[in-house]
Amino acid sequence: MRPVVISGAGMIPFERRDEDSLIDMLSMAGLKAMDDAGFGERPVDALYVGNMASGLFNHQVSVASAVVDRLNLLPAAADRIENGPASGGSAVKNGFLAVASGYADAVLVIGGEKMREVIGPRATDIVACMTHPQAEYIYGVTLPAMAGMFAQVYMDKYGVTPEHLAMVSIKNQDNGILNPYAHIQMKITMEGILTHPQAHINNPVVADPLHLYDCCPVSDGAAAVLLTTQELAKELGRPIVEIAGVAQATDTHTLQERQDPTDLKAVTIASQKAFSMAGLEPSDIDVVELHDAFTILEIAESEHAGFFAKGEGAKAVEAGETQIGGSLPINTSGGLKARGHPVGATGVAQIVDLTWQLRGEAGERQVEDAANGFSLNFGGFGNNVLAFVLRRLS
Amino acid sequence: MSTITAYKCVNCGQVMYPHHLRCLNCKGREFEEIEPKGKGVLKTYTIVNELPWGIDERGRILGVVEFENGVRALAMIKADKVKIGMKLVPGWEPVRVIGGVKTQGLVMRPAKHSG
Repeated sequence: MRPVVISGAGMIPFERRDEDSLIDMLSMAGLKAMDDAGFGERPVDALYVGNMASGLFNHQVSVASAVVDRLNLLPAAADRIENGPASGGSAVKNGFLAVASGYADAVLVIGGEKMREVIGPRATDIVACMTHPQAEYIYGVTLPAMAGMFAQVYMDKYGVTPEHLAMVSIKNQDNGILNPYAHIQMKITMEGILTHPQAHINNPVVADPLHLYDCCPVSDGAAAVLLTTQELAKELGRPIVEIAGVAQATDTHTLQERQDPTDLKAVTIASQKAFSMAGLEPSDIDVVELHDAFTILEIAESEHAGFFAKGEGAKAVEAGETQIGGSLPINTSGGLKARGHPVGATGVAQIVDLTWQLRGEAGERQVEDAANGFSLNFGGFGNNVLAFVLRRLS
Repeated sequence: MSTITAYKCVNCGQVMYPHHLRCLNCKGREFEEIEPKGKGVLKTYTIVNELPWGIDERGRILGVVEFENGVRALAMIKADKVKIGMKLVPGWEPVRVIGGVKTQGLVMRPAKHSG
């Protein structure tokens, strides 16, 4: 395989974007990545668009064909990649494979979702369509409900407390304030969301034991990366960040068929494979983006990915290790909690944020001298997971 | 009473629900259709306040139950108090209206003589 590098990275602010269509958002992010690379009029060989549910959210399909036209990447190959909340990660993986195999020299990967076109309960229902139609969906299960059932047993088994979950939420919202692309720009406190007798008014239960501030918001947004060969990247002259490891693993569709419901096997397998491919260890990583659609997931993923032993992730949060300035900063972007989670965008946005970190372009949230990064994009409820290891080459 | 249909692998005995074309354990392709047997033990649960479009209620309890013959399934729980490990008996009742049709599913209630 040929080395694959990120030559350009771009994102539009995640928020409620009533003025923009999904195609507008995807196209703006794509152009930002190309301009960031200084790509000019050079040809793009292929476009991959990560998007989960444009047909349901926006009544539009074949979105890759629309974007390739809008950006005049014609006659580039164009595909939409759908893999639930890991659509963005899957799109990056496919872009990687195209360049690594020699099939393409320059691939534009864009992830995006426009979710606020529908009202909240409708968005909840659309997202719940990824669950098993007969064994799960008919009961009214939601993704927060899946996370609630996971949290119930995980917290009990590993001594994770509501305070630990709130610490993750507070940290990620603090980081979001430093990120101009983050949807949620609001300082919260332990008193305001947990310890005050009336904190439940600010922070009601969504799916017990998870509260509002344990859940990511519903957002519109898009992010993009331009993947190229190393030769082309040198010609462009931007700092070179390599995709050193990429791996994907799956698990049972339903939660109930896992022998141990607290074991996120696909996270462990994908992470181990990505580290192995990169020839790096978790201890080599300087900055991490995890899929904190729910606060419990940041803690559980940090353990399953190999950064902490089982049961130690919450202690690391408590000790401040995962803050910017700590020994392993996690979700410096604000994560899904604060940046937002337009589902198809997330896997790409994580890689954009890491690229900025590894280039030293992350502004106030910069991790000093970050050379290696890791991201995890968690699809379904852990049934389809992608892990990436990024490395700064220059 | 109507209920869910689970599957037992003829080759290795693995019990599965929902249906797979190949066994999750041995990749065998022959299955015996079985029904959940006896009471269900609650393995985990959540109380959902924010339900999806079309379910006009708050506080619906959903949980994973394991029956005496090893069948595990997600179900709606109807109980005043809910606790992991409690024993529940199954019913088959409407759980959601989908496309104007009342869809039936597993509804579990506390066993009268729990334990």
